[in-house]
Amino acid sequence: MKAGGAGLAGVAFSALGIGTVLGSETTADPGGDGKVVEELTYVCPVCGEKAADFGSLQKHFKERHSQTEVPASMVLHINGADVEVFVEDHWTLRETLQRAVGLTGNAKEMCDRGGCGSCTVLINGKPALACTTLAVECKGREIETSEGIAADPKYRPLVEAYVKYDASQCGYCTPGQFTMAKYILTKYSDPTEEQIRTELSGNICRCGTYSRHVQAIQEAAKAIKGGKS
Amino acid sequence: MRRFTHLQASTIKEASQNGARGNAMVIAGGTDLLGTLKDEILPVYPSVIIDLKTIEGLNKIEDEGDSLLIGAMAKLADIASDETVKKHCQALAEASGRVASPAIRSMATLGGNICQMHRCWYFRTPDDRFHCSRKGGSTCPAYLGDNRYHSIFGIQNGCIAASSHDTAPALIALGATVITSKREILAEGFFAANGFKSCILEDGEIVTHVRVPKSKKSVFEKFALRKSIDFPIVNCSAAYDDKGKVQVVMGGVYPAPLRLTAAEKAVEKGITEETAAKAGDDAMADATPLSGNSYKIEIARTIVKRTLLRLED
Repeated sequence: MKAGGAGLAGVAFSALGIGTVLGSETTADPGGDGKVVEELTYVCPVCGEKAADFGSLQKHFKERHSQTEVPASMVLHINGADVEVFVEDHWTLRETLQRAVGLTGNAKEMCDRGGCGSCTVLINGKPALACTTLAVECKGREIETSEGIAADPKYRPLVEAYVKYDASQCGYCTPGQFTMAKYILTKYSDPTEEQIRTELSGNICRCGTYSRHVQAIQEAAKAIKGGKS
Repeated sequence: MRRFTHLQASTIKEASQNGARGNAMVIAGGTDLLGTLKDEILPVYPSVIIDLKTIEGLNKIEDEGDSLLIGAMAKLADIASDETVKKHCQALAEASGRVASPAIRSMATLGGNICQMHRCWYFRTPDDRFHCSRKGGSTCPAYLGDNRYHSIFGIQNGCIAASSHDTAPALIALGATVITSKREILAEGFFAANGFKSCILEDGEIVTHVRVPKSKKSVFEKFALRKSIDFPIVNCSAAYDDKGKVQVVMGGVYPAPLRLTAAEKAVEKGITEETAAKAGDDAMADATPLSGNSYKIEIARTIVKRTLLRLED
């Protein structure tokens, strides 16, 4: 299935996680030379081979793994597109985003126990930890990851503010912080430092970039609000 | 995680019938359960997980006149920001707002928080490396081992792990009733170290609602090493009941939340700086700390005093 449209289309860099977006302001610009990814990478859960769409993955499964039972599949609503994925009952959303559709931002494995916040995604607009959510429970719900937010022109000022203030250092925690930043911007039009620090209190950063997130989010809030009026 | 079958219950009856069968477990927010499954703390791995979130109408907060009826699937973030709860059951709103982190609060439910499994670091070590008395062993490794975060009021059913639910002291202080698929239980009698459970629920019994009486004022205080994503060292809640008497309940000092009757007695004639300090001293007079946790008494004493002074403020 082709996961086209604005939703899944992200800047190539953003599919690698926000960390790599933050080289310079030009690389964060979708109108610049950034290559646009129009498809997710479907990954075979058995051998790890990559396929362009779900149909060819199913075909690959029948040809190469005829001895194995074909996993159940379901439709997940990821970043505005309906995506058919292989999923097992015991897979978490994080595993599914990583294994089935090759996302690497919020989907990479960190503490995997709900203790660090780096896998924070938005489910129906509310923050949720992808490592502590079962994928089968996400049927019919809207899942938003940092890749989708970075590709949304409305939140371009947020990416730019993150670049400007260098709000990611090693980049591991950044997708979770960035997703939470979008949630903060939807909740408060003009967030105070205290509000930002309270909302980000579940996202741990070993590099200690906390004050830069406050600066970046406040500047993005001004830019987004200014653009609206 | 290991393989299991995931069922989506549509009624409480369906969930409790399936839950009583073999090694099934129910899942609400999942924030507590999935961690225990990943760490393989449980000796028997569940083969079936039953989702309660698909049961309709269990996430409502209703005003019943002199009490609030809160569905077990109500999210902690929603309870913390609900105006009715903030006005009439302030301690519960404060406690719900202090659990873990913002993302966890928007997933975790009230029913899940009161049914969460309190666990010490020996109990939660994977692969049953410490076969402690709660798991059917003959000794408690924390008794002679590192017990800095454990009970300072002794042992309950062979366990000295400290209770960790944040909403529990608030619910007990407010005089709440836990409504399950089988019966109604006063919150004060609901919590106990009980094998792998930290409450007195039977197999297949499911918490459906919590009824919380309104109180003219109630407060909650928590002391933890980190502001966010941390279990309490101690937490305390105080509330006025309908006769104007103060109820004080403390968590983190015993395997179940502990009612501090000595502290209640000390403030019978009103809360002042002196009576609040005396309440803290009296409440901790009977404490029996272990080798490594007498520091908790000092913290508990201060938190009792602080909670009472805020109640009067």
